[in-house]
Amino acid sequence: MDLKPDEQPMLILKDIHKFYGKNEVIKGVSLEVRKGELVTFVGPSGCGKTTLLRLIGGFTDVSSGDIILDGQRINDLPPNLRDTRICFQNYALFPHMTVAENIGYGLKINKWPRNRIEARVRELLKMVEMDAFGDRMIDKLSGGQQQRVAFARALSLEPKVLLLDEPLSNLDANLRLVMREEIRNLQEKLQITTVFVTHDQFEAMAISDRLVVLRDGLIEQVGSPIEIYERPANEFIAGFVGYVNFMEGRIASIDETTRDTVIHTEYGQIEITLEQDNIVHGDEVLMVIRPESVNISLGRGGNGRNFLSGALKSYMYAGSLAKCTVMIGDRTMIIDQYNPRDAQQFKHAEKVEVQIPRSVHLLKRKS
Amino acid sequence: MATAEWSVKLQARGGSRVKDFLNANLINILAAFLFLLLAFFLLYPIIAVLLKSVQGPSGFTLEYYRIFFSTDYYFQSLYNTLLLGAINTVVCVVIGFCLAYMTTRGPWLLRKPLKIIALIPLIAPPYLFALSLIILFGRNGLVTRAFDLPWQLYGFTGVVISQSLAFIPLAFMMIENTLMSLNPNLEESAYDMGATEATILRTITIPLLAPGLLKASLLIFVMTIAEFGNAAILGGRTPFLAPDTYTVITGESDFNMGSVLSVVLIAPCIVIFFVHNYLLEGKKFTTIGGKPVASEPRKITPLVLVPFVIITTVAAGAIFVCFGVVFVASFYKILGVTHNAVLSNYLDFTSNHAIYNSIRVSFMAAVIGATLGVLIAYVIVRGKFFGRSFIEMVSLSGFALPGTVLGIGYLLAFSAPPFKLTGGITILALNCVFRFIAVGVEAGISKLHQIHIEIEEASADLGASFLTTFYKIVLPIMFPAFIAGFVYTFMTAIVSLSAVVFLVSPGFDLASVKIFDAAVYGEIGIASATTMKLVLIVMICMRVLDFITKKTRIGSSMKKSAAV
Repeated sequence: MDLKPDEQPMLILKDIHKFYGKNEVIKGVSLEVRKGELVTFVGPSGCGKTTLLRLIGGFTDVSSGDIILDGQRINDLPPNLRDTRICFQNYALFPHMTVAENIGYGLKINKWPRNRIEARVRELLKMVEMDAFGDRMIDKLSGGQQQRVAFARALSLEPKVLLLDEPLSNLDANLRLVMREEIRNLQEKLQITTVFVTHDQFEAMAISDRLVVLRDGLIEQVGSPIEIYERPANEFIAGFVGYVNFMEGRIASIDETTRDTVIHTEYGQIEITLEQDNIVHGDEVLMVIRPESVNISLGRGGNGRNFLSGALKSYMYAGSLAKCTVMIGDRTMIIDQYNPRDAQQFKHAEKVEVQIPRSVHLLKRKS
Repeated sequence: MATAEWSVKLQARGGSRVKDFLNANLINILAAFLFLLLAFFLLYPIIAVLLKSVQGPSGFTLEYYRIFFSTDYYFQSLYNTLLLGAINTVVCVVIGFCLAYMTTRGPWLLRKPLKIIALIPLIAPPYLFALSLIILFGRNGLVTRAFDLPWQLYGFTGVVISQSLAFIPLAFMMIENTLMSLNPNLEESAYDMGATEATILRTITIPLLAPGLLKASLLIFVMTIAEFGNAAILGGRTPFLAPDTYTVITGESDFNMGSVLSVVLIAPCIVIFFVHNYLLEGKKFTTIGGKPVASEPRKITPLVLVPFVIITTVAAGAIFVCFGVVFVASFYKILGVTHNAVLSNYLDFTSNHAIYNSIRVSFMAAVIGATLGVLIAYVIVRGKFFGRSFIEMVSLSGFALPGTVLGIGYLLAFSAPPFKLTGGITILALNCVFRFIAVGVEAGISKLHQIHIEIEEASADLGASFLTTFYKIVLPIMFPAFIAGFVYTFMTAIVSLSAVVFLVSPGFDLASVKIFDAAVYGEIGIASATTMKLVLIVMICMRVLDFITKKTRIGSSMKKSAAV
């Protein structure tokens, strides 16, 4: 998804602020969304992600800042004149209309001729695999089918930007997985620029080109799912996208050529290959240790580095993985052991060894 | 739930048989008792009216109906009444819709003030508007004299205007409710897809609200045609059914004809009741719920804004003018005729005595009504006996019945031994109790739905008898409902006119009847001052009610957090 130099972004947010009375809910957000990209706003409830979406859609006015859609400033345009289309969490399908009438509503409003409407509705129905349901009333559809209709309706006028407000949160777990894949496939196929809002960080990572992590009306970090997960900018993000074990330490040495780095911790010495350049010798750091990145064993292996001894407090076997709680000193560490082999022995083990990977990400601690 | 399980548990403990039976069946015994009361004080008077309308000197006859339908005057009266109902309904629903649209979709700043204006008529007795129109446009009206107008507002136009103003709050409240129940995302979706405000209204809002609007229309229609005060005060020579009933009974003592008129007045109510149930059957549109979002203000286009603002302003202005005029008039003997301001209207003995009587009657009605209301609500919600819904229907029907019908019904039913009650405070209070019992019942039902049956079962499970459970658990929880029922009944009763006007006896006047008489006889000052006193009383009641609602909400949330 690299931006060609001459290509301008489809959507630009410039220093957006939004006040409700004296309450500032968006505190200066700037962002560029490229054409064909799927960007996800993710964050805990109350972080401003839905407000931001409604600002883009035109349902709420920005207090200051600019919204630029395909080169045109759209701050003052009402929703009906903006080339954005929103799909609400509750789908907001018109209950007094059939599936086809719902999908064709926008076309009719925009005065398309009848035969073109019919053709376009047929095409959309086929696209979301609802060919047989055109004449159904909305309340005769399942949640997943309603989701498809809402999606088709939002796409009917080929908007420049599609806005999806937690579109999957009313579906049950299995259907969510299916639908998010379908949405992503269609989005990629149609190359439609999409802003997606969710509070589910896993959904966000699975579906997006880029994530925008929001907290308290501010952007905490923007990046690809891999960047956000592997190189979170701060503790909040590290903890927000999946579970994380933190461990404090101090940089004892950095080899400038190999980038081999030694960290002193309360429990021993950890050696890593440093990939960041914002960390220097003597820094107090926080190691971001993902549960699945740690090796757990009953004794130290051949390469005796980065091993810490701990007491196995609990071992919960769940087939494909086992969740281990290990006490290292007075610190609890959660470790996911995938493909657990020696479950029987672990169940009865008391002492274990954990191996911290060389790829650990470091956060600078504020002193 | 309940009764069966209780009896099983109690038997297991080996209590005495009679006691067990009582415990297990107390709710049924209570229900039976309440039903008898409802039957005697609500159904029996109505049946008495029905019987009287077909009871000639020599048994059954349809003669009176024949006379009714063959007399031009009565036919005109029926026509006027139905036409009044139709016009009024349209006016109220349109104004109510505009007001409610602005308070739910308009700019934040306007929402609160508009809502207050729309609800202001609630503090007024409905006939305040008739009174103010007399002051402005009557024979000696301010406007009439100032511009030397050749016409007066007596008659059809006047009644339409005063009735419309009186029923705006009701229309507004019902329509605001339906507007708020509409998921705002639906309109936003249409907006998002390019629809203008007017198109959203035409294709989304109004079609989806149609059932709710229809319901509001029907209720307003029924209540308008039954309204007595405005038509009686302002009707002049134009006949309407409700005041005609009064004239026939009090002027000519013709109970047969009075009953026929009453039955004719009930008929549309019953027809509409069934139409309403039939029409709305399964017409509820459901949508998948998300987080409820308050509708944000929209950039309302001039096309929609201008007519809405005009209608809203005219309605709001008219309401203000009416209140202001009556307020000013209360300080003059006859405003516009006499020119020095006086306080004598407020000190008038007969008026104050009438207020005192009204307070006594309403207080008595409120105590009995709220108690019965809570009990009836309890047996309806918790009971498991046959005929539960019938009790509910009967108790709620009092409100929809034309007041004149219950007035005549009480005259017919309770004026002769063995049930002679006429000529005192009792019959007035009882009439108010059963006419407005719906209020207490509704308050009780909604409160009971908030309490989980488990609390009561837990109490029973711990060995408490039905009575103990009721006394220790149910009553304390129901207390707010009792108070709400009490205040509501009190303030509805104190302004009510249409039924009690038949039942007051010489020497025992009520404030509302006093206002009615004073207005008809041109004692504008007295009528206005008495009205203002009623307004004040109702305002105090509303403050109290507001206070209680806030208190109990705090109370219930405290209970909730304690439970967690």
